[in-house]
Amino acid sequence: MSQSVDESWLPKPSSRTAPFFDAAAEGKLRLQCCDDCGTWTFPYRERCQHCGSRSVVWRDASGRGTLYSHGLLRRAYHPRHEGRLPIILAQVDVVEGVRLSTNLVDVAPDAVKAGMEVEVAFESLPDGGIIPVFRPVID
Amino acid sequence: MNHPMNGAAAVSGLGITEMGRVYRSTIDLASDAVYLAIDDAGLDKSELDGLLINTGITRGLDLHLHVALGLQELNLLTFMQGYGSSAGQMIQYAAMAVANGLAKNVACVFADAPLVDGQRTGASYSGGRRFGGDALSSLHGLYGFTGAIPMFAMAAQRHMDLFGTSRDQLGQIAVSQRAWAGMNERATKREPITLSDYHDSPWVVEPFHVLDCCLVSNGAICVIVTSAEHAQDGQQPPVYIRGFAQGHRHDAGQAVPDSAIRGPGSRTASQALTMANASLNEVTQCQLYDCYTYTVLVTLEDYGFCEKGEGGAFVEDGRLGPGGALPTNTGGGELSSYYMWGMTPISEAIIQGRGQAGDRQTANDLIICSGNGGMLNYHSTVVLSPETAS
Repeated sequence: MSQSVDESWLPKPSSRTAPFFDAAAEGKLRLQCCDDCGTWTFPYRERCQHCGSRSVVWRDASGRGTLYSHGLLRRAYHPRHEGRLPIILAQVDVVEGVRLSTNLVDVAPDAVKAGMEVEVAFESLPDGGIIPVFRPVID
Repeated sequence: MNHPMNGAAAVSGLGITEMGRVYRSTIDLASDAVYLAIDDAGLDKSELDGLLINTGITRGLDLHLHVALGLQELNLLTFMQGYGSSAGQMIQYAAMAVANGLAKNVACVFADAPLVDGQRTGASYSGGRRFGGDALSSLHGLYGFTGAIPMFAMAAQRHMDLFGTSRDQLGQIAVSQRAWAGMNERATKREPITLSDYHDSPWVVEPFHVLDCCLVSNGAICVIVTSAEHAQDGQQPPVYIRGFAQGHRHDAGQAVPDSAIRGPGSRTASQALTMANASLNEVTQCQLYDCYTYTVLVTLEDYGFCEKGEGGAFVEDGRLGPGGALPTNTGGGELSSYYMWGMTPISEAIIQGRGQAGDRQTANDLIICSGNGGMLNYHSTVVLSPETAS
């Protein structure tokens, strides 16, 4: 039985963005890093923001970070949000120095506070794609 | 030592169209604002020799506005974009042009028409329903980062987590501004609100309620800038451009420590006041870009009206509202009057500077205006006064 589902919102990786999604499928967080000065960046850039080098490569990141801030999405703006509200919006500063806009999972909204330690986790999309999200580090 | 730009230029004309659900084209609204401003200034169209153009996200305006206006003798013409800092930027470039003889009367125009008949307000500024595009960009909408609200809500949340800023304190900004709007016949939302109304208003992205967010408006505003000398012969009381500055930065991709709680306003206010040969304690009113309640709070801190982190306590006693010690957004601001990007604060400053604000008129000796674009990424400050440089 095939259902007509609008999948126009699903990420469609290209050759230049595939490393990010391929890594997620392997359970890793992969970001860009300058091969010359070591500055990490995200999202995709052709040149290093810091030194201007064009030698920007994809590299596995630690997947660990600190919650910079958070918000609670109370209205659905996207097909992905239907039935999932409220969603915790999160800005995560990964230890490599990049700030990621992502979601925080596996935590009650009122337990979330800026500065908490977080680590990468993964969620599946309807087409089998995998995306990184974050969850609190449980000591 | 007096800065050569301190009071060298002035505002001689102001045109404000009808605002809100006005289903006219952006270029028609823009043309209307220019004709209103020319009339206000007592100019003939042929005397207009400069045109600076800026528009909002619907991009309904371009360089060809001069064609619609039939302007043939322009010495200055450009289309500009600095998001919410654009209006303040246009005033600055116009002031420098008229003070240095490049042009005599420069019209600075903002127009936007994001509201579509039959479509709800929220749809107009939420970035639409576009989910395609680059795979990494498409993640933004998927995670829930649509439009500007999530980023500003999270900025406010960081301020709350770090400094204990409360929801009541943010709410008081909305309540104070609505009280001002009740005295502004141009304001879209004029009925008074209480803190209770604020807390009852629907959530968008916590900590933001609907009442933390600016309106969406169709409309246009035109400001005519001329030399101080020429303005003295004008039809309206001159409002002198006493100081200005811009500051821009970005935080894209980089974990900038203070990006949510400190913007470029932390340096532009002192630069603009230095040009005006004035100090912060001489400011008698503020017209601050208020895309969200939090933007007002963080700008007050950045400008130095209180210490970083103390903005909540600063605003909670109604200091910004009618009768308060620091009248701010006296027309109701973008939260309650109309959302014309940086032209909202600039237009109210001109009305106040002329002494034409009626029941809401307040001490206008020195007015500081802010313009903000992006998530505190693009900033302009303009200092206006009915008094020329002393």
